[in-house]
Amino acid sequence: MIELLRQGAAVHADLPAVASSGRSDTYGSLLARAESIAGALVAQRITRFGLVLEHPADVIAVLAGASLAGSEACQYPPVEDTEVIGSLADRLDHEVLITDRPGLGGAAGAVELDGLLRGATTAAPAEPPGERPLLVLTTGSTGLPKAARHDWRRVLRAASRIAPDEGRRWLLAYGLHQFAGLQILVHALASRGTLVAPDGLQPVHGLRAIRELGVTAVSATPTWWRFLLTELRSTGGEAPRIDQITLGGEAAPADLLEVLATTFPDARISHVYAATEVGSTGSARDGRAGLPLSVLERDDDADVAMRVVEGELWVRSRVGMLGYYGEPPVDPDAWRPTGDLVEIVGDRLVFRGRVSEIINVGGVKVAPLPIEEVVERVPGVEVARVFGRPNRMTGAIVAVEVVVAAGADPEAVIDAVREACQDLPAAARPRSVRAVEEIAVIGGKRNRKADP
Amino acid sequence: MQVERTEVEATIRGFLQRVKKPTDFSDDTLLHGDGLNLDSLETAELSAVLEDAYETDPFSAESVPPETIGGILDYYSALASGG
Repeated sequence: MIELLRQGAAVHADLPAVASSGRSDTYGSLLARAESIAGALVAQRITRFGLVLEHPADVIAVLAGASLAGSEACQYPPVEDTEVIGSLADRLDHEVLITDRPGLGGAAGAVELDGLLRGATTAAPAEPPGERPLLVLTTGSTGLPKAARHDWRRVLRAASRIAPDEGRRWLLAYGLHQFAGLQILVHALASRGTLVAPDGLQPVHGLRAIRELGVTAVSATPTWWRFLLTELRSTGGEAPRIDQITLGGEAAPADLLEVLATTFPDARISHVYAATEVGSTGSARDGRAGLPLSVLERDDDADVAMRVVEGELWVRSRVGMLGYYGEPPVDPDAWRPTGDLVEIVGDRLVFRGRVSEIINVGGVKVAPLPIEEVVERVPGVEVARVFGRPNRMTGAIVAVEVVVAAGADPEAVIDAVREACQDLPAAARPRSVRAVEEIAVIGGKRNRKADP
Repeated sequence: MQVERTEVEATIRGFLQRVKKPTDFSDDTLLHGDGLNLDSLETAELSAVLEDAYETDPFSAESVPPETIGGILDYYSALASGG
């Protein structure tokens, strides 16, 4: 991380590294701050800590400083509840929390960022150490978030292949506590671009930042993109010009890719397959759903290899996590199940959802994603969520919640959804269809957990 | 809860119309077999429809699920009378 700031500052110290409404941090200023933080961490012998900071520029300075000091940082999710933070700190054995949140100031182990810098310090190390640990929390969409132990050397592996692209402004649509957020951070800094931090992580904030802060590149989940399109339609006005659209974190359906291509005709569209546990495995840039089958044909030298085992994608990754916190290290040459259901359709590897999202309808296993794709093609449906609804008769039934487009008749849309699903196999046909104001989302991804 | 018998009948009728089943029924009409011939998924769907409408349904609440239209109607009548 520190290397990226140093490279950027060496070329152009005044180039903005992070921009937001009311604040801009240059490569030079972030580097200076990071080096001060590194000196303080070393002098105060802080080898691992939790991080609860508001502004991405401050988070980045601490992450870079920690990487230089060899100290393991873990950015916590943006929750208000101090008990949740405390519980996370207990679970991860964080005796130190670096924070700028007033409410945490009195908590045991809490260190204010400014206080850290006023304390004991020493000259920043000239070079980062051999090991540069980092702890990254998973989304927690299928349970409590897990903490994946990473090393910056692995996270930065792809950075050397990123060409300079000064002036490109990347929207930070994920939190920096998420692996996807770190991927965007690395890409923006490696290309000497500018990371634009919106006022919040909702698509409405993203759209405002795109319009007002000159964003030209956006990476976000398909769910985020669907909500952005809804926001665009409801607020009216011309679609902003975007040069690069990236989708990740969830399967990217073909109809969404088509709508994005039409709405943003100047954009190059890519989708990436990456996960906190396996790292980034590559991207598809052909505008088609799924991945090319060539991903299954990589040789033993490849950083990441994939195969399909009984409908589930397995990955062998040398750029993934070292292991979960508190668990034995993973073998980088071992194959691991990803939990992603896939199917080979023609020349593509198509995603069908998560193993954990499978709905068992009277013994028939139903994947929700293909049903969502059918529902979201129905006119009047902005976004849909398909999930299992417990039912005494069959164990579960397929349920659908839809956000209806402004001006559309909810009852008519519901009827149209039922009609559109008539050709699905009986077990896959939604038996409960409801119009809702909003869809359950965790970390930017649709929450398809069964309703209680 | 107070739910009129006729209201529940209308809810059931709306469901049957949607799944293309006969909408003429009496209390004695069987839900399965020679009656309305609902399969397990259609029965599960009816359960969900009733739960959405009235926050409770006899298929989920009763140890023995109803077998006739009358059985469904009696469940809500009993709730209304506090039984």
